[in-house]
Amino acid sequence: MAPEHSDMPVVSLRSLVKVYDTGEAPFTALKAVDLDVYSGEFVGIIGKSGSGKTTLINMITGIDHPTSGEVVVGGTPVHALGENALAKWRGRTVGVVFQFFQLLPTLTVLENVLLPMDFCSTYPLRERVPRAMDLLERVELADQAHKLPATLSGGQQQRAAIARAMANDPPIIAADEPTGNLDSKTAEAVFGMFERLVEQRKTIIMVTHDNDLAGRVRRALHVADGEIVEERIHRERHMG
Amino acid sequence: MSPRWRKVVRDLSLHWFRTVLVVLSIVIGIFAVGVMLGGREILLREFDADHAASIPANVTYRTDDFGDDLVARAGDEPWVSAAQARRSATFRYRRDGADEKRTITLEAFREFDDISVAKVVPAGKDGWPPANGEVVLESSALQVTGYAVGDVLSVERADGEIVELTVAGFAHDINSMPAQFAGYETGYVSFETMTSLGESDSYNRLSLTLADEGISWAAASRFAIDLRERLFEPEGLRVYHTEVPEPGSHFLGDIFSALSLLLVALGGLSLGLSAFLVINTVSSLMAQQVRQVGIMKSIGGSARQLEWLYVVMVGIYGVLAVAIGLPATAAGTRWFTDFAAEILNFRVASYTTPAWVVVVEVAVGLAVPLLAAAVPIRRGTRMSVVTALNATGVGGKHFGHTVVDRALGMIRGLPRPVALSLRNTFLRKGRLALTLSTLVLASGVVMAVWSVQASIERTISDLETWWNYDAEVDFAVPLDAASVEAAVEDVDGVAASETWPVFGATVVHADGSENESFVIVGLDPDTDFVGPTLVEGRWLTGEGPDGIVINTDARDSEPSFSVGSTVTLRVLGQERSWPIVGVVRGQMGGPAIYCDAGLMAEAAGIPGVTRLLVRGEDSDAESEQALLTDVEERLSEAGLQASATRTRADLAGQLREWLGILVAFLVLMAALIATVGVIGLTGTMSINVMESTREIGVMRATGAQHGAIYRIYVTEGATVGAIAWFFGALASYPLSTTLVRALEGAIGMPLTYAFSWSGVFTWLALMLAISSAASLAPAFRASRVSVRDAIAYE
Ligand SMILES: Nc1ncnc2c1ncn2[C@@H]1O[C@H](COP(=O)(O)OP(=O)(O)OP(=O)(O)O)[C@@H](O)[C@H]1O
Ligand SMILES: [Mg+2]
Repeated sequence: MAPEHSDMPVVSLRSLVKVYDTGEAPFTALKAVDLDVYSGEFVGIIGKSGSGKTTLINMITGIDHPTSGEVVVGGTPVHALGENALAKWRGRTVGVVFQFFQLLPTLTVLENVLLPMDFCSTYPLRERVPRAMDLLERVELADQAHKLPATLSGGQQQRAAIARAMANDPPIIAADEPTGNLDSKTAEAVFGMFERLVEQRKTIIMVTHDNDLAGRVRRALHVADGEIVEERIHRERHMG
Repeated sequence: MSPRWRKVVRDLSLHWFRTVLVVLSIVIGIFAVGVMLGGREILLREFDADHAASIPANVTYRTDDFGDDLVARAGDEPWVSAAQARRSATFRYRRDGADEKRTITLEAFREFDDISVAKVVPAGKDGWPPANGEVVLESSALQVTGYAVGDVLSVERADGEIVELTVAGFAHDINSMPAQFAGYETGYVSFETMTSLGESDSYNRLSLTLADEGISWAAASRFAIDLRERLFEPEGLRVYHTEVPEPGSHFLGDIFSALSLLLVALGGLSLGLSAFLVINTVSSLMAQQVRQVGIMKSIGGSARQLEWLYVVMVGIYGVLAVAIGLPATAAGTRWFTDFAAEILNFRVASYTTPAWVVVVEVAVGLAVPLLAAAVPIRRGTRMSVVTALNATGVGGKHFGHTVVDRALGMIRGLPRPVALSLRNTFLRKGRLALTLSTLVLASGVVMAVWSVQASIERTISDLETWWNYDAEVDFAVPLDAASVEAAVEDVDGVAASETWPVFGATVVHADGSENESFVIVGLDPDTDFVGPTLVEGRWLTGEGPDGIVINTDARDSEPSFSVGSTVTLRVLGQERSWPIVGVVRGQMGGPAIYCDAGLMAEAAGIPGVTRLLVRGEDSDAESEQALLTDVEERLSEAGLQASATRTRADLAGQLREWLGILVAFLVLMAALIATVGVIGLTGTMSINVMESTREIGVMRATGAQHGAIYRIYVTEGATVGAIAWFFGALASYPLSTTLVRALEGAIGMPLTYAFSWSGVFTWLALMLAISSAASLAPAFRASRVSVRDAIAYE
């Protein structure tokens, strides 16, 4: 727990259990996880492959449903929402960045970024394109705006995905290994973007394999065998 | 346009190959259903319209010569709304220098442009009305031989002299038996020409329409008898035949009901087939989109929004398909209607498809795809994002691995690519189930149609066993049997001969009505000139007080005919009751009654024989014609004038023409349904392979050669094709027996069922060829894309 926060946590997990039904023996990927994340935190989730990081972040974003336990995000009981309500809520509250970009292949980069605003009707029509271009500018992709994703490099696609995650200006960004497919220089740039977002009081939850990056987040959670086994707080960096 | 709608447009245009496939499979569905159901509606409607417009006769008398005064008196009868007289006479003729003699019925009208009953409509201005020395042919003559304006017909007068008539044009007469079924042509000439042919300048046919349009057959018959007595008998005129057809009926009625039945049955099957095809395509499309649905939901797309997105997308496919399908179907229906009109000899005034058929077409194009998409759309938009993101296609993963791998593992020495492709095939279980259902249905229907066709062919050859002789000759007047037989006895090639009295027979009903549709044939019960196939009861025995045997045509044209019943027949003016002892298969040559010639003589006092049958040495069409020519020659030398002649080949040919109509339509429908099947197969295979584009990329990345990839997908395609063929062949048996039984009901004739093994194997070959080819094309496409693109393929 982070005792210095007196306000309500943005993300609150209680006794969260996820069991995968694999056909043969059921597999417990999360074993009664408890976690509170507060507004403006930059949380890194680390752990071995197969430890349950993706499973955990999918619970927070409502991309997958827990077997039992509670997920409350921004006061919303995510575990209790239906698929439909979940999508609407997610669109406005959580920007999701996937490990494998997941851009829509038949839409240009710009259109991919416009899509969340379209779905959630968040900005007036005429502000959307300037806003999307601004976001692309920030991820240094303005010149690629009118290309189809398949013609971009992995790093470019990931930056486009981040721009898309920010489209509705959500308070929380959940990213699953956003730098996993990027070279160190690009990874650094992406990480820098996340740091700037944190400065704007966004809450970032990021899964990463990169120990160097993990060392730079304010709060690092170590996941092993479906449990949070260790937590490190780097107050000095964040405050610096 | 907002990005999500842009996605719809982009999905349609960037994946144009898929769009084309989906639209094409919907279009072919619309087409098959539309042409069958629409074609049927138009066919029946236009035939009825053309028939009604001709003002068909309610009563027709064939009589001794009469004049205009009698026509006027008939017209003044209060029950009669119109009376039309004509002269009709039958001649033998040769066309331009041909050896073979044919028969033609010539009809003369006083006013060609004012025919009030059973109208004849000129095909063009050419040669109408026919001038002296000219003949206008009924257009069905074109179905028999290619007559052209300017052809010369050498017509033989009763006294043996030849009169040359020039073909001046063509006309349409829906009430005359089309030449290909009748075995003779019909032509129209002026009275001047008629007299030059040795006929008198008076009428011998009177056709009437009755004022009461809803009159029953029995009432019309009683009226016809009453009028006959009042009109002709006081003048001393004999009436040879009084024809009272069932009001509104037509001699092609049986064929029409059979056709109509086939079209409805196959139209219904095509509807089911199209639905399967569309469901198959659309659901595979949706399966491909599941992952994108997951992505869109993860960035805030609500189920409602996504549902709309896909409803619109599928709707666009539907709209495109309807836009192409409706005009294509209209054109196809038009072609089909023309095809039908030509062989059935009627004219089409309007090709307008009835609204309900258009509604069905639109439903197939729009409603079926949307309904088909509803389930996958709902499932896709309701499933959790993580499931959607991990989705690979239709079907569960659980079924696969273990079962299939174990099964495939048991087949030793299976080449790797083959094993892999078989695994692919079975892994996409849901996909496979849909594909197979579509293909099994298509195959089943195609092979069933083949079997129906085979059954008709078999029936034709069965019916041909009736004719155990090579040629027959009809005489207009009864002749002495001994002198006829003596005349042909020593003609070269005549192996045996027999003579029959054949006369008109009238069934007299208790209510006073009469049915004159029959001929009664007197023969030796032990004759081996015909080989009757019994349908019911027994054949003539020649012993004791024997009864009569009727053919199936007779049974169908007289409700009171059944084995065991006794009917009153009038033959040559003499009435007598006869028990019906049996029913034999007719050869579609009309209603006939058979009885012992001896008994017939006792009952009616036979004045002589009217038909000669000869058997020759060879039974090919040419020898028979040669034999017949010699026989006719010899008869005419002996002063015995033939009124009509037919070889066995001619008779069998007419039978083939009748049933051939059904065969022609069946072939057409089989082709149409096979096309639906082929396009469905191609589409399904293409979609299967497209779904595997990513796999292909991975295989190529791991070093698979083009050839190996082809082999995998071609094997997969062929396997699916072979499985569908097998079950389709099984399904075709009950389908075809049902169709054949229904057809029997429609044409009122028993058919011999034959399962078409050749159809089954032809379809196997087609199926294997098509399914591998259909897999090859997309596999080729896939193998051309770069590994990177293939892996990135969504
Ligand atoms: N859909 C699933 N069905 C069954 N088991 C699953 C499923 N998804 C994940 N698992 C299992 O749950 C465990 C945790 O998976 P998860 O994807 O959360 O790991 P991760 O920590 O993200 O690994 P990586 O670093 O490799 O991405 C793994 O053992 C995995 O095999
Ligand atoms: Mg992971």
